[in-house]
Amino acid sequence: MNPVQNHMLSETRRYFFGRMAKGLGAAALGSLLNPKLFAADSASANPADEALKSLGQMQILHHAPKAKRVIWLFMADAPSQLDLWDYKPKLQEFYDKDLPESVRQGQRITTMTSGQTRFPCAPSVFKFNQHGKHGAWISELMPNVGSIADDITIVKSVNTDAINHDPAITFIQTGSQIPGRPSMGAWTSYGIGSVNENLPAFVVLHSRLPAGSSSQALFSRLWGSGFLPTKHQGVALRSSGDPVLFLSNPPGVNEKTRRTMLDGLAELNTKRAAEVGDPEINTRIAQYEMAFRMQTSVPELADISKEPQSTLDLYGPQVKDPGTFAYNCLLARRLAERGVRFTQVFLRGWDHHNTLPSNIKKLAPECDQPSAGLIKDLKQRGMLDDTLVIWGGEFGRTVYSQGTLTKDNYGRDHHPRNYTMWMAGGGVKAGLVHGETDDFSYNITDKPVHVHDLNATILHCLGVNHEKLTYAFQGRDFRLTDVHGNVVKDILV
Amino acid sequence: MRCLLNLSLRSTGAAAVGLFLIAAGSFASADEKKIDFSRDIRPILSNNCFKCHGFDEKQRQGGLRLDVKDGFGAKLESGAIAVVPGKPDESELVKRILHADPAEKMPPEASGKKLTPEQAELIKKWVAQGGEYKTHWSFIPPVHGAPPEVTAKEAVRNPIDNFVLARLQSEGLKHSAPADKVTLIRRVTYDLTGLPPTPAEVDAFLADNTPEAYEKVVDRLLKSPRYGEHMSRYWLDAVRYGDTHGLHFDNERSLWPYRDWVIKAFNDNKPFDQFTTEQVAGDLLPGSTLEQKIASGFNRCNVSTSEGGSINEEVLVRYATDRTETLSTIFLGLTMGCTVCHDHKFDPLTQKEFYSLYAFYNSAADAAMDGNALSPPPIMKLKSSEHEAQFKAFDDEIARVNEQTAAELAKIVYVDPNPYAPPTSPEPQEFVWIDDDALAGAKLEGDSPWEFITKEQGPVFSGSKATKRKAAATSQHFFTGATKTLKVGGGDKLFAYVYLDPADLPKTVMLQWNDGAWEHRAFWGEDAIAFGSGDTVGHRKMGPLPKAGEWVRLEVDAAHVGLNAGAVLNGLAFSQSGGTVYWDKAGIISKTPQDGQAFESQAAWESFEKVLEKSSVPQNVRDAIKIEVAKRDDNQKKVIRDYFLQSVYPKTKPTFDTLQKQLADINKKKTDLDNAIPTSLVMADMPTPRETFLLIRGAYDKKGDKVSIGVPAILPPLPKNAPPNRLGLAKWLTDPGHPLMARVTVNRFWQQYFGQGIVKTAEDFGSQGSWPTHPELLDWLATEFIQSGWNVKHIQKLIVMSGTYQQSSRVPPEMTQRDPTNELLARGPRFRLDGEVLRDSALFSSGLLVEKMGGRGVRPYQPEGIWEAVSFLGSSTQIFKQDAGESIYRRSLYTFWKRTAPPPSLTTFDAPSREACVVRRGRTNTPLQALLLMNDKQYVEAARKLAERMMAEGGATPAERLTYAFRWSTARKPTDPEAAVLLKIFQTHLADYQADKPAAEKLLAVGDTKRNEKLDASELAAYTMVANLILNLDETVTKE
Repeated sequence: MNPVQNHMLSETRRYFFGRMAKGLGAAALGSLLNPKLFAADSASANPADEALKSLGQMQILHHAPKAKRVIWLFMADAPSQLDLWDYKPKLQEFYDKDLPESVRQGQRITTMTSGQTRFPCAPSVFKFNQHGKHGAWISELMPNVGSIADDITIVKSVNTDAINHDPAITFIQTGSQIPGRPSMGAWTSYGIGSVNENLPAFVVLHSRLPAGSSSQALFSRLWGSGFLPTKHQGVALRSSGDPVLFLSNPPGVNEKTRRTMLDGLAELNTKRAAEVGDPEINTRIAQYEMAFRMQTSVPELADISKEPQSTLDLYGPQVKDPGTFAYNCLLARRLAERGVRFTQVFLRGWDHHNTLPSNIKKLAPECDQPSAGLIKDLKQRGMLDDTLVIWGGEFGRTVYSQGTLTKDNYGRDHHPRNYTMWMAGGGVKAGLVHGETDDFSYNITDKPVHVHDLNATILHCLGVNHEKLTYAFQGRDFRLTDVHGNVVKDILV
Repeated sequence: MRCLLNLSLRSTGAAAVGLFLIAAGSFASADEKKIDFSRDIRPILSNNCFKCHGFDEKQRQGGLRLDVKDGFGAKLESGAIAVVPGKPDESELVKRILHADPAEKMPPEASGKKLTPEQAELIKKWVAQGGEYKTHWSFIPPVHGAPPEVTAKEAVRNPIDNFVLARLQSEGLKHSAPADKVTLIRRVTYDLTGLPPTPAEVDAFLADNTPEAYEKVVDRLLKSPRYGEHMSRYWLDAVRYGDTHGLHFDNERSLWPYRDWVIKAFNDNKPFDQFTTEQVAGDLLPGSTLEQKIASGFNRCNVSTSEGGSINEEVLVRYATDRTETLSTIFLGLTMGCTVCHDHKFDPLTQKEFYSLYAFYNSAADAAMDGNALSPPPIMKLKSSEHEAQFKAFDDEIARVNEQTAAELAKIVYVDPNPYAPPTSPEPQEFVWIDDDALAGAKLEGDSPWEFITKEQGPVFSGSKATKRKAAATSQHFFTGATKTLKVGGGDKLFAYVYLDPADLPKTVMLQWNDGAWEHRAFWGEDAIAFGSGDTVGHRKMGPLPKAGEWVRLEVDAAHVGLNAGAVLNGLAFSQSGGTVYWDKAGIISKTPQDGQAFESQAAWESFEKVLEKSSVPQNVRDAIKIEVAKRDDNQKKVIRDYFLQSVYPKTKPTFDTLQKQLADINKKKTDLDNAIPTSLVMADMPTPRETFLLIRGAYDKKGDKVSIGVPAILPPLPKNAPPNRLGLAKWLTDPGHPLMARVTVNRFWQQYFGQGIVKTAEDFGSQGSWPTHPELLDWLATEFIQSGWNVKHIQKLIVMSGTYQQSSRVPPEMTQRDPTNELLARGPRFRLDGEVLRDSALFSSGLLVEKMGGRGVRPYQPEGIWEAVSFLGSSTQIFKQDAGESIYRRSLYTFWKRTAPPPSLTTFDAPSREACVVRRGRTNTPLQALLLMNDKQYVEAARKLAERMMAEGGATPAERLTYAFRWSTARKPTDPEAAVLLKIFQTHLADYQADKPAAEKLLAVGDTKRNEKLDASELAAYTMVANLILNLDETVTKE
């Protein structure tokens, strides 16, 4: 058969298939999955081959994946590891004493504090308690995360190259401090594709700032596709207006009217395809049909009214308020359920250069219960095993106070040399603390994990060798981790 | 192979991909006559072997290098020779790539590289054929070769066709039939102006049967100002033009005069060598004009920052690196970015050469921190003659007020009542700092603006006004930067008057004083305001809330809030937690002399003024006062007296205050005018150049050897007498002998028309880039470009006048397999239009487009929250405020470009963010695009306007009207079956909207323009939906 006709036939099949599926409603979720999944069924009877199947640019995965999807709770503006995770009891003795030069070793600091005459140590005002079977120390600001200590790996030795927000956040998201590279979610979409054709492979959720907080900016490059095709860029689901840009029909156009228009459009485009012979027209017909299906599938995704109260309770009281971090955590679970590969939930506002204690006291509760709730919810659904959850931001904060230090008040500047993140599920060990820092949380003393290592590890969990997922651009094979990165095997199951 | 993959085709499934991989392979082997090292062998070597056997000395293994001619015949460390011409069996290269032992076989397995058997065989064959080495093609200057003879002579319109047909002939193919006239005029109108033809233009072309009909259209289009707008769009992607700084705050910055310069340059057909020189070095041209300086703004398009904590040296290195890389991509087609950290792995470019090129930019005069300013220097002001006239009018006005002041002064008779008064009062005196108005120099700020109220509007304690603030949570208004400072002495008290609304009590009221920092606070009521903590000078609890419903004087010992003798205050903040609060006069009780105190006696005032360390009194007056009374000359006496009478003496001061206010108003208008004059960022070098060093691994603080200005050795040297700066660099780029500059440029032009360049990797002409599909054609065009005097319009005309361009773009069934990406050019171009063109066309065909050229970026419709979701609080682009009126309907080229959140209507169609240089856009086909074209307000409004146009101009019957709209979008008339579909859909919509008139009304209300109320709502809505369909047709969004 003529391949063009063949192709058109298959598109037509999908076209009808799509319309039918819509009629079946939410129960037809499974049938909305990528046809490529089914197409290959007969070909690969071997379950091992099945596990290695990729739906993206990679033909097969580099190794069997532990995680099918990633949810990154991204703590933009850099939360203080000293007040949340990195317990330093000895620091009390150093209150208002200068950070010893033997610790600081003349390392560079930002020009916000490089003019300070003193670098007085500021021990955390917050209490730390031990949690879990392994007795992980976690601050009183994160009691709910404490309750899931046995499910997570805390990495205390993350470190980065950049010292300021813009370059550092660009670095952790794209592997380069300079704008222009694809983000990790875009790499994932490009490499292993999506299982749900009605939703993007990479979704970004922005959390509203708690009242009275201020924050740094974000940039669309953080979820951009860089030099990869733009279809891999993260799609920001919005909490007000259309969840996906331009999703809703204009006022006065209902579903039936849109269907009438689309039927006419498909008919005319099909005629044109026969006339002109360009296969691109058939792709366009298919994309319009997918757009139509998204008009149903996306609002359904954002509708949490059918979630049972017991589930809502996991995420805390703000869960019903669209745009809050709690709501976004629940949405992240719903996205994961529908096969979205990479979800990134941004929470801003951790840039506590001054009056850290009172500011973090306001922000931490917005974060604690929803973060823990997400893990509990995934676990109760049996999804934690193949969903990798990451919590953390672009760098840490200094042990010395920025500005005036008092017993109950201090500020902290940027600290790239070590900071804490935690991970759960998707191939990561449960109940572990990895890496150690000195008594000042200033230098790493054991098992450093560079941002490139972290990114390599995340890709590894997805069945991707970070050295092999490349894209040729400007004469070079680019990858997320540039020429660096080692998988952190110690934290993997 | 990747380069052959059309991105949008990828989604059509693996089967199609497999098919054209085979097809692509067949091109490569088609020319069996002679293997060309440059085309056939180098890419294999560069991809698989150069890493260890290439240019980079530190990585080199076994003494073998394969990137230079001498490497192949040289004796290796093992004693063997890599290539013995004509003798594959004696050649170590051939032995090793075909070796059976995995330990010996090259490339080694650990490298992750692998040769296919075909590739190994090809190398063997090349050695057998004599192993001839050639320098990479793009480094050899192009030749103006004679166009080859072809058999299909009738298809030749100009020499371009000879080259294309020769290639087709060797493949056993020929041109497609010429496109029909309607398709052709639509195609060329799009390509030269970015807009479709009107039905009238199509009719005129159809009616013109002269042989020159097409050329007349082309000439008309080349003269249209729309041409320059359209051409500029591609250029602005490359130079990464944006309307914001791009980093951190991402504030607005003013560079649009540069954008307008580019448009004008294309419209004026400025020769491309001048176009290049003025942009790269306009500021350095002898006697450079304002326009040339603005052109040098090219170098200022890079993203910049002012993020607190940044290290200036590091930031400057980034700027210079970015500028060097951009210059290399745009003019050289070289990926110099690879050489920032190390020698190039594939091309003969060293790290040192990178820093030599970088040295041209290393002395840029712009500061590391852009200050988040609209116009970070160096800048140029675009002062017009109108501006000059306005300034003159202001100056005349000032002269008039000064004359009047002199006359008033002359009238006054003043006798000092107490010429021997003591200088200062022995008792503390109350001094009011702020009462009814802003202080000089003070910036009034707050989370919402200051609200001054009069006695008619609410309680006022003193003077004519008080301030009012109603708040739901913590809220404040404050000022800083007062030039009339408050001077604190020992034992002083600070005060302010407050009135609490008994019906709306706050939780807390707080006063804060600024002596350089805000850490001096006193509060009354609950501890509900989160500024400061503990019982510290930054957080003093003074007691309960003051009594409500009456004016209460709040008083604080200055020392209690950490303000000791000697402190100088410049700001004061009034804060509250909720409630409605009124504030009135505030100041100090002090023995210390304060600025601006009233004096009846001139002598007393002089003595007082003398002891002040700082004062708001002008310096010439202060200088005169310091002279002993007896020694003053008449002028000095007059200066003092005049100032005293005008600004101090309470009896005459009010008269002069009025005049002073007039003067201040005029001066403010003058400043406002000066600020309103457009500015544009320009380039300049520092007077003393910075030294440049190679940076080890690109790290700003790891300096290696010192380097001087220079260009890569593989390219021609800098011309003799070229100055050692960017002007010299421009001379070098535009030298007719330069092998890359003209090629890279004409290739980008070609790409605009055919969707892909002759070299597909428009950004990379190095050995990893794609081989040109028509190398001789590229060279012919490049040399033609130079010989024509870098005549841009000449090249555009040549391309569109070629038979190759004028072919039909129908895809013959066999060609979907054989040449899916149209590399051989056996048919005309067919691809989706860019986002800008789509939006402009919808505005154009609906009659909404406002064709005003130039000016500051405009803000058309945009879904809410796009900026707000990412922006920095306090950024000048934090909140998107849509424009009104004609600004909404300008060409997309003029849309304000916020680089951290670019316009979604354009980025959805693959527009880059403009943060980095892009010379080749992707071209995807996604459901998000479908949603945008169906539902974006701009397109829905355009559909309604097109519907109104159908009903007004399109004829009487639905069929005629639908045909009319179809013609505006596709240029052609629908076929009968197509017309039948349109009519059927129209009738369905009509029935639906007749049944639901409110829905029709809702649809018609979309957009800022008002609908034509005379037209029946249901009918108009039905036409609107068909117009929406027509605007979404594949044919509408595609150049055919």
